[in-house]
Amino acid sequence: MFRKFRRWCLPALVLLFVSGTFKSQAQGDALFNTKCATCHQIFKDGTGPKLFNVRQKWSEGGAIEGTIFQWVNNWKTAAASDPYAQNVSTWSGTAMDIFPDLSQEQITSIFDWIDLQEPVEAEAAKSDGSSSSEEDSSSGWIWIILGSIFIVIILSVGGVRRQLKATEAEEAGVDFNENMSYMDELKQWAWVNRRYVGVGMLVIVIGLVVVVFLGLYTVGIVEDYHPSQPIDFPHSVHAGTNGIDCKYCHNSVTKSRTAGLPTVNVCMNCHKQVAGSSPEQQEKIKKIYEAAGWDPSVGAGKYTNETKEIVWNKVHVLPDHVYFNHSQHVVVGGIDCKQCHGDMTKTVETARVQPISELNKVEGNIPLTRPTLTMGWCIECHQEKEVSGGSLDTKKDGYYDEIHKRLMDNDKSLYSKYLEDGKVTVKELGGWECAKCHY
Amino acid sequence: MGMKRKYWKGIEELKQTPQFLESRDQEFPAQTSVEEFLSDENLQETSTARRDFLKFLGFSVAAATVAACEAPVTKVIPYVNKPENVTPGLATWYASTYYDGSSYASIVVKTREGRPIFIKGNKDYGFTQGATNPQIIASVLGLYDSARLTGPTVKGEAENYAKLDSKIKDALGAANKVVLVSNTIISPTMGEAINELSLSLGGVRDELGSVSNDKFSHIQYDAVSYSGMRAANKESFGTTVISADPNSDGIIPDYDFSKAKTIVSVGADFLNSWLLPTQFTPQYSMRRDPDGEWMSKHYQFESVLSITGSNADVRGMIKPSEEANVLAYLLKKFNVSTGVSTKLSKATKASADSAYKALKSTKSESLVVCGSNNKAVQILANKLNSVLGAYGKTINTNAPINLFKSEDSHMGKFVKSVVAGNGPDAVIFYDVNPVYTLPNGAEFGEKLKKVKTTISLASYADETASNCMYVCPDHHGLEAWADMNPKRGHYSIAQPTIRPLHNTASAMESFLVWAGKEKRGGKDSKVAYDFIQNIWNIWGFSEQTTYSDFETYWSMMVHNSCVDEEIPAPTDQVFNDATLNNLGELPKSELTEFILYQKAGVGSGKHANIPWLQELPDPITKVTWDNYITMNPVEMEGKYATTFDQEHGLNQATIKVGKSELTLPVYPLPGQTPGTVGVALGYGRGANGENIGKAAFQTQEYGGHVILEDGNPAPIGGNAFAFVGEENGTPSYSGACSVTKAEGVYPIAATQLNQTVMGRHSIVRETTLNAYKTKDKEAYNPSWTLQKLDEHGNHVEAPMKEFDLWDEHPVENIGHRWGMTIDLSSCIGCGSCLVACQSENNVPVVGKTEVRRGREMHWLRIDRYFASDEEAAIGQRKDKATFSYDEAEKPMENPQVIHMPMMCHHCNHAPCETVCPVAATTHSNEGLNMMTYNRCIGTRYCANNCPYKVRRFNWFNYPSYKAQAEVNPAQDDLGRMVLNPDVTVRTRGVMEKCSFCVQRIQEGKLEAKKDGRPVQDGDYASACADSCPTNAITVGDWNDTESTVRKNADDKRAYQVLEDVGVKPNVWFHVKVRNEQNDILDKLQVVKEAHHGAAEEHGAGGHEENSHH
Repeated sequence: MFRKFRRWCLPALVLLFVSGTFKSQAQGDALFNTKCATCHQIFKDGTGPKLFNVRQKWSEGGAIEGTIFQWVNNWKTAAASDPYAQNVSTWSGTAMDIFPDLSQEQITSIFDWIDLQEPVEAEAAKSDGSSSSEEDSSSGWIWIILGSIFIVIILSVGGVRRQLKATEAEEAGVDFNENMSYMDELKQWAWVNRRYVGVGMLVIVIGLVVVVFLGLYTVGIVEDYHPSQPIDFPHSVHAGTNGIDCKYCHNSVTKSRTAGLPTVNVCMNCHKQVAGSSPEQQEKIKKIYEAAGWDPSVGAGKYTNETKEIVWNKVHVLPDHVYFNHSQHVVVGGIDCKQCHGDMTKTVETARVQPISELNKVEGNIPLTRPTLTMGWCIECHQEKEVSGGSLDTKKDGYYDEIHKRLMDNDKSLYSKYLEDGKVTVKELGGWECAKCHY
Repeated sequence: MGMKRKYWKGIEELKQTPQFLESRDQEFPAQTSVEEFLSDENLQETSTARRDFLKFLGFSVAAATVAACEAPVTKVIPYVNKPENVTPGLATWYASTYYDGSSYASIVVKTREGRPIFIKGNKDYGFTQGATNPQIIASVLGLYDSARLTGPTVKGEAENYAKLDSKIKDALGAANKVVLVSNTIISPTMGEAINELSLSLGGVRDELGSVSNDKFSHIQYDAVSYSGMRAANKESFGTTVISADPNSDGIIPDYDFSKAKTIVSVGADFLNSWLLPTQFTPQYSMRRDPDGEWMSKHYQFESVLSITGSNADVRGMIKPSEEANVLAYLLKKFNVSTGVSTKLSKATKASADSAYKALKSTKSESLVVCGSNNKAVQILANKLNSVLGAYGKTINTNAPINLFKSEDSHMGKFVKSVVAGNGPDAVIFYDVNPVYTLPNGAEFGEKLKKVKTTISLASYADETASNCMYVCPDHHGLEAWADMNPKRGHYSIAQPTIRPLHNTASAMESFLVWAGKEKRGGKDSKVAYDFIQNIWNIWGFSEQTTYSDFETYWSMMVHNSCVDEEIPAPTDQVFNDATLNNLGELPKSELTEFILYQKAGVGSGKHANIPWLQELPDPITKVTWDNYITMNPVEMEGKYATTFDQEHGLNQATIKVGKSELTLPVYPLPGQTPGTVGVALGYGRGANGENIGKAAFQTQEYGGHVILEDGNPAPIGGNAFAFVGEENGTPSYSGACSVTKAEGVYPIAATQLNQTVMGRHSIVRETTLNAYKTKDKEAYNPSWTLQKLDEHGNHVEAPMKEFDLWDEHPVENIGHRWGMTIDLSSCIGCGSCLVACQSENNVPVVGKTEVRRGREMHWLRIDRYFASDEEAAIGQRKDKATFSYDEAEKPMENPQVIHMPMMCHHCNHAPCETVCPVAATTHSNEGLNMMTYNRCIGTRYCANNCPYKVRRFNWFNYPSYKAQAEVNPAQDDLGRMVLNPDVTVRTRGVMEKCSFCVQRIQEGKLEAKKDGRPVQDGDYASACADSCPTNAITVGDWNDTESTVRKNADDKRAYQVLEDVGVKPNVWFHVKVRNEQNDILDKLQVVKEAHHGAAEEHGAGGHEENSHH
């Protein structure tokens, strides 16, 4: 169970991650993820049937025009009026949720988006997380095979050339040293062309050093770290669809250094009632019941007191020598969770370390350049972030008021230097100092 | 101006020994040279050849590179049901009470995620006013000792409670006579539980509520007895003293040092070990403030230089047998004849005369205390107090102290009967260790095996428990509910702060179960809790009017941890003069006398397993990890080595008392009365290899215990309880002895010689109260000036702050500037700050060998300076070669002492910062000198450049290096739980040092920020300031003009150590003020002619400095 960061030594893998970003109906994408994705997959049957070209399937199967929209809004009405729909309703034992609030255009946008997907890309996009290590090794094989083919080609060409040379020498009557090995020959050739070989070697060595250093810079970068979790918790459903405030579950975020993982009893506040509609959901929620020691089968449910802890894999891991305090940032700094964690209302899968490129896309975030969760990232934000909004010399906020007052009263020139860019930043009040985070 | 007051750290410095001179010039102790290292024969025994080594090196580099690419997956487990008071990442504080049979204090326990990690005094509630001692602070580590018993045992084999209880019940029921031996029970509820046990064994309760039983008897027995004192009070005041129990041995009254203008202590170390130091220390220090309404005058007559003696204004050296003489002499002066010899040495007589004068002038506002356990001596002290009228003013017999009720006569009879083989057939031991603490403990232990039923409730298989058949381990104090009644009118509660770690059971529960009153409650047992609550309902709730319902009452009691009933005011007592004619046996004067004393760290030995305490340098001798014989260096002259260093140890001597003897190193202790030797109690624990904790035994240089011939690990020091004799019917801790030089030299680990004063006279400053009150500040606290050219080109004097070597950091008056002030008048040198710092900052324990190499890691040390009055000023020594300190001979015999806590000064012109090649130590705009461990590459340039010598280099990976396996708590999973999660555990190869508890600064600031208010006093307290029993250390924001630290820093007593170096530190000290007559010091302290003196003095200091760098 180790996180793999071997990508830097296998640059080819990078290619895989540059697999195209889809430009399709954003609305359909989002709606599919929030409404359908828990049960439906595009190319594979799951809890619900696969949805690729589903409209075509329905019309070919003889469904009445438009029933499919009715079906999505409330499948029961559709099943009642259309025999094809009636047939579809027997597809699985699990009944589909109803979505009465989806308009015809929205449903169309979902189908449009689905039909635009291409099987291969979808597979690749889906498997970027947990199975990346397999790709690591498979792409490694490709390189090894390519490499050996090259070596074979070089050797055969060399052999042919040697033969030709020997023949040429024979023809010219020169004594060709048959015993001269490849190595000797190479040496001889290198000596003859020593100027070019020297420059070439220099270039190669410098290149290698650069590559090694660039590689070393990526050590410890955990962007996109997405560990597997015991429960596939969809943030999008909780924070997005249901609009639950982050602080409801991560409730020590305003008080403590840690935001806190929700304790199981917090989950149970809702999940006593919400048992899930699809088997997949039910399966997940069952794990919560097991942890909480809740037996839903007895009457309205009952606690058995046989609890079990849920062992999550920590996503945002800081080294032990770094002190980070959530409450400092959330309460005092007024930083939105999105700044560092991205828009969790749209994260269908479990949490991952969002790359800086994605964080920068979130509206309202301070744009930064350094990779997420690196010290450069912290430092950069501390340089950008101003300590207090509004006109600073009139700012009335107990603590910072006093700090600004001391600056104003006792060192105006320093204060005006701070204010050259119109703001006093975290850095200027000491946010770049080692002992703010390391002790 | 040929005279100067000289401060010296050790006799080596005073005598300028060659070893001293060598080590003085070398900041870091001699390191083994490469040749030496390679020629070490042990090396050749290893199988690793050089080439193999290179291979290993290559492999490990490669392995490390690969390992760096993969970070382990971190697991995170949320609570299923979060306990109400626990927020991960936030500390929860619980008010509780500490009592271990000798120390008592109201405490607050810091817990993180349910783990207690830090103990400090409760400043809001309880009569201890926030005072603790090193043992109380370190006791939290005892909770995590892996040697603790994890469950009940029968004959050493694990057993379950059901079987154990039934066996014990049967055995007790069948026994003809059951004896329970416990320490002094100050818990009313525990007393009731014991009554229940007695009742179940056929006891009868009388109408007053006390239980009598012929078959069952309860003996209270203390390791260190005060029964002589109780006996004396009983005889002196007879029935006029209200006593809780008419059958008791008399009372110990309450003493109020805050009302005493003159304190005369005859052998009582009341700031460290005598009675209730946690109460006396704050009371005492309150009146040691020269700016207060009045300052007390403290006389100490004693044999071993104790912490209390080191703080006295006047200290007289007496033999233990002369304690009676001093008291009789003073009584004679007050025209009371006693028939006791008043013979005293000339010097002591002078001190006693001075004490008489002071006593006479303050009359009833005086207090005479005596440390002797001889009834006769205590009666003399009582008489003196009575003559002065102290009863009714400073001594309250109406609020007696309930601690130390040792029933020594009963215990004596019991021990005799066991040894004779005709003792009771069932014995229960609760929180006592008589096999260790009895003079004939070993014999008693042997015979104990023959007693039919022996039950111990000890937490460890200690000396006594390992001789017992049944062991039913008690909880640690932090795991159990308890209540206490330390003195009349004061009741307190101890609440658990962690679920029991092991399968242990509260002793109270065990008694109730064996009495058949309750059933075992398992791990989350509420038996003891319910029992205590019930008793408090009956006895507490019903007798108060503040709370109307019990729930609120009980919650408030637990929240405050204690409650005061109305304590009766002191009333005058009529002294029964007849007792003066019937004193009984007085201590006999002997040629050589020994005295047993208790050290600040190890005390009476209960905490010998706590490495923090073993490594705490003794406040006076600065020796760690050892026990020794203290002897006056003047007396040792020519016979024993009076100096020592890393290579040269101390001579050993065999001290013989009666039939017992011990061979220990002889430590030269200035201030020890000639003709006496001192030996500390509490050492030699686990002499038969009892598993009382890894840290209680001697360790080898490269890890592992020193193993004796019998296969047992070697204990640290020797057990001096064997020397306890009997005098006047009570145990006596002094007497005649013979000391003969023994073979061999013993290496000792002292922290005192590693750094020196280097002749700089800007380190410690002191004055007399008289000078302080009458003279100008410049006389006793001259400010440093340097010459500069003014605009006209003239030389003018300017204060140091005008000179800057570098650009200033913008810290003054902007943002925060964290500062610290330390009042040398208040600091008593107890060592609490040091242990608190260690506990708060995860400071590793390094072990004796490393301390000997000068590699102790303490971020805070307490420098102890001996002061003598005479020394030729620097530059005036006529001939270095023939110079002698003959003049200093007398002070070496009985010097004055200054304790000076020393930690990183967070200089604004920090010399360490400028030499760091990787900018690992930098300055913050809040005035902190920051240390970034991850940047540090360990060049140690910074330590080299630090004028205060406070930086510590991490030589080993202490949490895993095998040499520290026995001593460092972070080496096992249990011990690791004591670590403070807010502070990094440093790894090998980095520098570390005091951070001013920056984690607490950040926490305090954050609180203020969240509340939207400026930082105020109280938001931030460093661990040392938090734990100081005398409030000598103050921390805060210097830029806040209203803060205490600012006021202290601007005080006329404030000065900065080595201010002349120009490093602009953020720590200020307050000149020590002694309430003494000192003509020499007065003569030295005159306002110097501004221009001349200061410059000359600085010149001298600078010269000295240059010559060493």
